[in-house]
Amino acid sequence: MIEAMSEKRSSTKSAVEVKAPEAPASTAPSPVVPGGMGGEPAHYDVIDAIRRGESVEPTVHESMSEADAVIQSDDFKLWYGDSQAIHGISMGVPRGAVTALIGPSGCGKSTFLRSINRMNDLVEGVRVEGGITLNGSPVYEPTVDVIELRKRLGMVFQKPNPFPMSIFENVVYPLRIDGERRKSVLQEACERSLKSAALWDEVKDRLKESALGLSGGQQQRLCIARAVVADPEVLLLDEPCSALDPVATIRIEELISEISERYTVLIVTHNMQQAARVSDYTAFMYLGRLVEYGPTGDIFQNPKLIETAHYVSGRFG
Amino acid sequence: MSGDRQESGVGGAKVARRRTLPSAVGEPMVWLTGSALVLCLLMIVTLATLVVVNGLRTFWPGDIDRVTLESGEVVMGIRTAEDKQGRYLYRVGNRDIGQESFRWIDGDKIAQVEQPEHAVMLEREAWGVWFGMPESVSMEADDGSLVALSEGAAETLDQFALLHPDARAQRAKAESMRKRELGKINHGIEHARLRIAGAEMGVDLRENASDRLGWVSWSAVSVVVVLAGFVWWVGREVGVGIGSSGVRQGKLTRFGCALIVVFGLVGIWVGAPWRTQGVTAAERDVIVAQMEHVQEQLQAEYERVLAEIRMSEEQDSKLRLVVVEPTTDRFAPIAQTRGDEPMMLSQVVRLIPANQLSVVGKTKVFFSRWWEFLSSGPREANTEGGVYPVIVGTVLMTLLLTVFVTPLGVIAALYLREYAKQGFGTSVIRIAVNNLAGVPSIVYGVFGLGFFCYTVGRYVDTGPVAGTSLQSGVWWLMFGAAIVTAIVSFAFGLWGKPDPGSTSTIGNRVLARMSWLGWGVTVVLAVMVLWRTPYFAGFFGARAAEGSPTFGARGLLWASLTLALLTLPVVIVATEEAIAAVPNSMREGSFGCGASKWQTIRRIVLPGALPGILTGAILAMARGAGEVAPLMLVGAVKLNQDLPVSTTAPFLHADRSFMHLGFHIYDLGFQSPDSQAARPMVWTTTLLFLCIVFALNLAAILIRAKLRGRMTGAAI
Repeated sequence: MIEAMSEKRSSTKSAVEVKAPEAPASTAPSPVVPGGMGGEPAHYDVIDAIRRGESVEPTVHESMSEADAVIQSDDFKLWYGDSQAIHGISMGVPRGAVTALIGPSGCGKSTFLRSINRMNDLVEGVRVEGGITLNGSPVYEPTVDVIELRKRLGMVFQKPNPFPMSIFENVVYPLRIDGERRKSVLQEACERSLKSAALWDEVKDRLKESALGLSGGQQQRLCIARAVVADPEVLLLDEPCSALDPVATIRIEELISEISERYTVLIVTHNMQQAARVSDYTAFMYLGRLVEYGPTGDIFQNPKLIETAHYVSGRFG
Repeated sequence: MSGDRQESGVGGAKVARRRTLPSAVGEPMVWLTGSALVLCLLMIVTLATLVVVNGLRTFWPGDIDRVTLESGEVVMGIRTAEDKQGRYLYRVGNRDIGQESFRWIDGDKIAQVEQPEHAVMLEREAWGVWFGMPESVSMEADDGSLVALSEGAAETLDQFALLHPDARAQRAKAESMRKRELGKINHGIEHARLRIAGAEMGVDLRENASDRLGWVSWSAVSVVVVLAGFVWWVGREVGVGIGSSGVRQGKLTRFGCALIVVFGLVGIWVGAPWRTQGVTAAERDVIVAQMEHVQEQLQAEYERVLAEIRMSEEQDSKLRLVVVEPTTDRFAPIAQTRGDEPMMLSQVVRLIPANQLSVVGKTKVFFSRWWEFLSSGPREANTEGGVYPVIVGTVLMTLLLTVFVTPLGVIAALYLREYAKQGFGTSVIRIAVNNLAGVPSIVYGVFGLGFFCYTVGRYVDTGPVAGTSLQSGVWWLMFGAAIVTAIVSFAFGLWGKPDPGSTSTIGNRVLARMSWLGWGVTVVLAVMVLWRTPYFAGFFGARAAEGSPTFGARGLLWASLTLALLTLPVVIVATEEAIAAVPNSMREGSFGCGASKWQTIRRIVLPGALPGILTGAILAMARGAGEVAPLMLVGAVKLNQDLPVSTTAPFLHADRSFMHLGFHIYDLGFQSPDSQAARPMVWTTTLLFLCIVFALNLAAILIRAKLRGRMTGAAI
């Protein structure tokens, strides 16, 4: 399965050219908008409906239903106080692949990501409806221990946030809080995860030095190493490159491709090229709703909605 | 550009800009602000200079003048000041022969001033300094007559230098024996006496302790406690019926149950009805007989040591020194009432032939006086001698208060910033805490005296006030009620939390309020249970019954606690700021790794806030060290040579009153019998106080710098 995935990814990567597919309205299937095919130009039917606050059925490519979902959300809704940020998202995140969430600012992609490991619990006044399951076990159930849940997921944030400790301590932090004290185990885990974060060669001689002395890109790779040290079921990346320079960004992207051979990755990005480069599947979100979801190649080159086509080519959003 | 601006005027009208206003010219403000800063610095530098100069001058020996007045009167002393009318202030000492120790002399009336080579200033054990000419060192013969060992000033000084160290050593030995060995024996006798008194009280206690139906209520409560814990535990495992939140907080719940059960068991054990109290009459007789025997033995030992000391002192009193002062031709007496006998050699602390000393010699005197100042206890109503016990008292109190206030303040701030829901309640608490910092410190003193010394201290000494302790049945009832309310409040607190992903419902909020209410009731009940227990009669009842309370009086412990309360706002505010300064991304990162709230606080927040917390502790320490007013009420005394630390158990005597530099300065300046002579000591003590506060702060700052380096620097 994984092999098949990586094979497919390599083909997608080479194939994807980020340029606007000149998709005429006629080739795209008609958007599912109740009463949306009026006299108005058909261009942004779905988007307009969403803007009007109407419920829209997402366009999910057929191949998605075949995939084995590690995370499955079922009509998931989320409110910050009185304002609704997510309007019923139902989607599955395929196992062993990289799935990207794209969409304009404020479309709820980060919120959705943070709902999976319940980081939104930290925000005052958050309310959810519907459910998310992680490998079949529910995320929003009263019986779920949120600490245990977060231990099953690794998370990397927008800004690199290494702790003010040594590099070594940063990497083994998740093990430390689980009470692991055996030096050999910690060292082994530290080396393994630093290697998988492609940071080992750069820091192996200064593991005892403060992590704050690393460059931004190194810090972010350190955060990735920290996220994978405890073998998470899914790795959640929340715009991991938005605070980095282009060179560091490329390294992180390469790293994501490498790491996805071992882990399922869900990445939020507002950089379309990045989504095209690193992901196997792409979900386009708009104002808290899923608009189109399918294999990255299709989304970027042969999307079913004109909105998606225009968004990924930068004409809109 | 200017063209653009002109055209951009509203409606095409030109907006003419006026020329730069004088107020827009910045230079005067630079001067104003700069000079304000200079003024501040100047004041601080002046203060520091004044203290340092005056403080250092005290111990420098001045030249001794022999002043002959036109009236023929001769005065000997050290010139210390002069005024505009040309009068000179001489320190003339010799108080024990009825002389004022300072004297203004009119410059016009002086016939002659000379500085006799052998003039000496004596620092004595009592009655201050003595100025005069040394005449002889004598030895008392067996028949009581004095045999001169030296004649003439020069020879006397040599002879003195030869004999003085031994004489002092012998005196010191006798004194230390009096203090140490006699003190120990006295302590033993006192202990035995208290044991006897305690035994007598124990009989009363046993006879009056008929009201003990403890067993029944104890059994009931213990069953309730164990059942409550068990039910909770099972409920958690089953997960149904007891509320979903209870399951969600799995570990916390388990821990809470265990804690409550443990508390309950400890409480039951403490109030154990199976333990007998007091002693029977037969046991009392045994104790009394034993202790009386001990007392006899100690009394004999006391006589023996006292005889030894007496002999040593007698030997000591044989060597005499005759130093004659010129005004009345009288020599320094052995005591004020025995003016016809010259003083003992050993009574001289230091002899300073100031006029024949070179700079090196004077420097030696200077340092020897500093050493005495720092290492020995005070003499002469604190105006002479040293301040060693004062330093110990000050430093100890400051350290204790820091030890008390830092953890308390940090924990309180942690709750306020990390756990409490930010809102109206926390704002009110913050304002209240800040206001607390503005309360006049004497108010804390009054509170400390009333609450710590007379209420808590008395309770520690003698237990509940007679007549207020509860009937045992009622007590057990309240004890059980306290435990039940604790369990219920805990449960309500958990159930009051909303389910994941949902906002709290009215039911949640009501439960949360009920939980707080329940905790309030629990605290009240717990205090009542503690305060009115029939099973506690104090730790120091016997001594308190005789009117000498142990903890029920002013002391180091209560003073430190009072000052801890006083400095609490400083620590809370500083810690809160430090905690708030830890970036939220750190907390998120930690939560994202699956850390719990407490793990995040302990591993991320606290280390990050540590430098700020230590700054708070330093500020609190500085504030506490400089506070005097409350100390006058809760523990600082004019004189207590018994240090609050010692080599005998319990080593730290927190119940003792202590000496404090701030209070000492006040005492020297305004309460001493010879305040003019004490004035230089005021400066010196002030200098020392400043140095100690600086040293404490510096130490704390160094520790902080080291820790900060460890937190952020390269070497971890």
